[in-house]
Amino acid sequence: MSRLAPVVIDNGTGFTKMGFAGNNDPSFIQPTVIATRDGGSAGSGAPSVPSKPSFLNSSASSNLASKRGIEDLDFYIGDEAVANSKTYALNYPIRHGQIDNWDHMERYWEQSIFKYLRCEPEDHSFLLTEPPLNPPENRENTAEIMFESFNVQGLYIAVQAVLALAASWTSSKVSEQTLTGTVIDSGDGVTHVIPVAEGYVIGSSIKSVPIAGRDLTSFVQNLLRERGENMIPAEDSLTVAQRIKEQYSYVCPDIVKEFKKYDQEGDKYFKKYEGVHSVTGKPYSVDVGFERFLAPEIFFNPEIASSDYLTPLPEVVDTVVQTSPIDVRRGLYKNIVLSGGSTMFENFGKRLQRDIKRIADTRIKRSEVLSGGKMQATPMEVNVITHKKQRYAVWFGGSLLASTGEFHSYCHTKAEYDEVGPSIARHNRVFGTVG
Amino acid sequence: MPAYHSAFNELTDLRSVGSMALLPIKTRVRGPAPIADPNAEDIIDEALNLFRANVLFRNFEIKGDADRVLIYLILFITECLGKLARNPSLREAEKILGTLALGNFAIPGDATFPLNALYTAPANKMDADLLRQYVSQLRQEMAVRLPNRIYENDKPGKWWMCFQKRKFMNKTLQTVGAGAGAGGARSRSEEKMEKS
Amino acid sequence: MILLDYHNRIIEDTLKTRFNPDLWSKQEPGTGTGGGAGTGAGARENSQPYYAENKPKPVDMSIVDFDGVSYHLSTLDDNDAKLNLSIRWKCWHELVKYGAIDVLKREYSRWIVDPEHGYDFTLQFDLDNIGGDPEDVIRRVSLLKRNAMAAPFERAFDAQSLAEQEDHWDPSSSQLMTIHYRDGEAIYVQNQQDRVTVIFSTLFKEETDRVFAKVFLQEFVDARKKPHLQNAPQVIYSHREPPLEIRHVPGLLDSESQGYITFVLFPRNYAAGAVREETISRIQIFRDYLHYHIKCSKAYMHSRMRARVSDFLKVLNRAKPEIQASEKKLASGRAFRRV
Repeated sequence: MSRLAPVVIDNGTGFTKMGFAGNNDPSFIQPTVIATRDGGSAGSGAPSVPSKPSFLNSSASSNLASKRGIEDLDFYIGDEAVANSKTYALNYPIRHGQIDNWDHMERYWEQSIFKYLRCEPEDHSFLLTEPPLNPPENRENTAEIMFESFNVQGLYIAVQAVLALAASWTSSKVSEQTLTGTVIDSGDGVTHVIPVAEGYVIGSSIKSVPIAGRDLTSFVQNLLRERGENMIPAEDSLTVAQRIKEQYSYVCPDIVKEFKKYDQEGDKYFKKYEGVHSVTGKPYSVDVGFERFLAPEIFFNPEIASSDYLTPLPEVVDTVVQTSPIDVRRGLYKNIVLSGGSTMFENFGKRLQRDIKRIADTRIKRSEVLSGGKMQATPMEVNVITHKKQRYAVWFGGSLLASTGEFHSYCHTKAEYDEVGPSIARHNRVFGTVG
Repeated sequence: MPAYHSAFNELTDLRSVGSMALLPIKTRVRGPAPIADPNAEDIIDEALNLFRANVLFRNFEIKGDADRVLIYLILFITECLGKLARNPSLREAEKILGTLALGNFAIPGDATFPLNALYTAPANKMDADLLRQYVSQLRQEMAVRLPNRIYENDKPGKWWMCFQKRKFMNKTLQTVGAGAGAGGARSRSEEKMEKS
Repeated sequence: MILLDYHNRIIEDTLKTRFNPDLWSKQEPGTGTGGGAGTGAGARENSQPYYAENKPKPVDMSIVDFDGVSYHLSTLDDNDAKLNLSIRWKCWHELVKYGAIDVLKREYSRWIVDPEHGYDFTLQFDLDNIGGDPEDVIRRVSLLKRNAMAAPFERAFDAQSLAEQEDHWDPSSSQLMTIHYRDGEAIYVQNQQDRVTVIFSTLFKEETDRVFAKVFLQEFVDARKKPHLQNAPQVIYSHREPPLEIRHVPGLLDSESQGYITFVLFPRNYAAGAVREETISRIQIFRDYLHYHIKCSKAYMHSRMRARVSDFLKVLNRAKPEIQASEKKLASGRAFRRV
């Protein structure tokens, strides 16, 4: 039997990306949210269990007669969940990248597979992703669900950062396909800087930055409000801010010079955003100005938007590299890979590269001076890789990996799972070690 | 890349009064400041150029006495923008700002000066007078140049006015003229609120 | 979700964005997929501007559907406005034998082109001239698999209604159509004078699944006892033992994991029109429906088990002995404290 394309699912805190291996883009991108009826038991989310379970009682025989409901099938996921949020309770099964509610997650997968992807899990191998530092217990739970509920043919759980590195191989800037590099993963909620050496995540050096897409949006919203753009209807203000951020923002090399450009060539830089009132349907237009370059600027100067977080992203990256083992630092500087929607701003990579390079050069110079000129260091090569697949880099990396011929040999098969049990998920065959 | 510093920090042969550098200005206002080269940028131009960038920052490391002049001017611009909130015409604006510039103001060393922690008080009465005249000169020149820079269609441009609520280093000069002592306390409490 | 959809969602979403010029501009580069969901999500995440180009982007993607169906959706190399949709299915030649081409011609006549290399059947769309109401076209195209599979059923229904009118129907003219739509699993459709019998042979990879299936199918039998469901087709489940109708068929697998489900359809179940279409749609997806529900049942059991475990854990935690701080007395009656 010819093998069917493996299924690649990247469940993120905010969004789930899913599709089939070999494709360039995920087939579905939707919020990782499940709308259920049993909202009452918020938190636990488990179906309410009668105080005395019928199957433990002697009256179990009556169970069949009293027809069981189908509440467990009454739910929506993704965009449909959001659309039904008035009558259903929304649950977010993933928190901070890790699966928090297994009941919801199991059902989320159930519908992902049968309603959206439409495939028989018994016929496919699956590639799932996990955040760095995912506890092995979570991986075991995932394997348990995948093999026991869905009888999947094979399963491979990959670390998101590693997939992001693999995704960068499509960039023309990449000369060698290495699994060493620093991944900057910035989505909606949080930004992670993750060093990876030969496919291993250096867990102790991971840093996260509490600035990501959502913060940029609210910063834009603030700027608009401060300027008194009162054409924007209150109920649309977040969407407008988001659209402006997405459509017009870019990273500038120097804000003062950028302000000057706006003064001198306003026609070229000031834009107009045309919107339609979501309720009344009336069109309106909003001037778009400095937020174009100020929004992404908060990665580089967090203090302009936040009062408690002050470390610029380039500095965080530098710290991450500096706290990693000394023999991989050059590799980490050389291959800084971007992933996620919030890294898509024009010139983001360029600016980051310049700033990191500046920090690294200063350090080298200082050590040369301190050595009294006796030591000459080779200049540090700093490369920030941007590529076309950056936005869904993790998924794309998964799609690449799963479409290779060797993928099936990396997978844990159902038979192996039956033999060994869930602990098989602790073993990663690409590296041949217990991870 | 933190906030921007004054390029005049580099100049070394300048006199400083109360830790503020006595910088040359292009001006017709009479005062103690030396006359600057009319074709070069002076500290007032610099303050106007850096204002929109720096006003976004809350932290600023003072690297020289010229930076203190820059801080003062940026805070003064904020104060001016506050006065223009009601969109006066250019004529009116010039008048309003002229009055503001000449009005009561505190200089480093005065109890009501909000930035005393960062400035040193003038050494003696003579220096204090000199400083007062210098600051007054800066204020007047700014009051002249600012409206010309920011006015569009006889209205303060919104691309400037949008910065009026921002507080550089979380400070304002607005306490000037208010009750003695209360000012500093207020700006500090505001700072606290900002942080919380 | 109790019933599975009949149409393929990825095709639906993709075509929606393709056929609607307004959406092109909102599309991300190279993203043919995602459709409504994708663009919606895109708007919520952030990105650099994709300056709208009012032009469809090339697309090339492979999609699968239930029962080992593979689709290939692509634009032509030299023309982005021409979109090909190809399908590959291992039982295609059988479907063709049972008249699939006629059904497909009826549904898709204007778009059929020679099959793409490696595929069984190809449709081609010209985005500048779709040839029909886009909504209707999308709907129809996303049902491609269903329509191909409809052929044997339609043939059986037609044959049955003809046979019904004859007084002396020759039982030997009944045709047993076999569709090996999956590895080791097949659908058998047989028309008789007064009924059509549909038999699914299905393999259970897991012992647990077989048990669940048995319970689940028992519910079908029970449900039919209810008055308002009297007209539902009869469902018979047999384990390992093939039903009489197909007992003579060679090559039936004789194993523990084999099960047979027989549906007996009477003319009232496939009266012309919507009922008939619905019956065809529903019955052919039965196997996936069954396996979907087995999986759902397992998921349900798992959530019950998790709830139970956490309850038991609570009990266990309560039972933890508290550290006793009671004072011990010496024989003399003086307090004794262990240090």
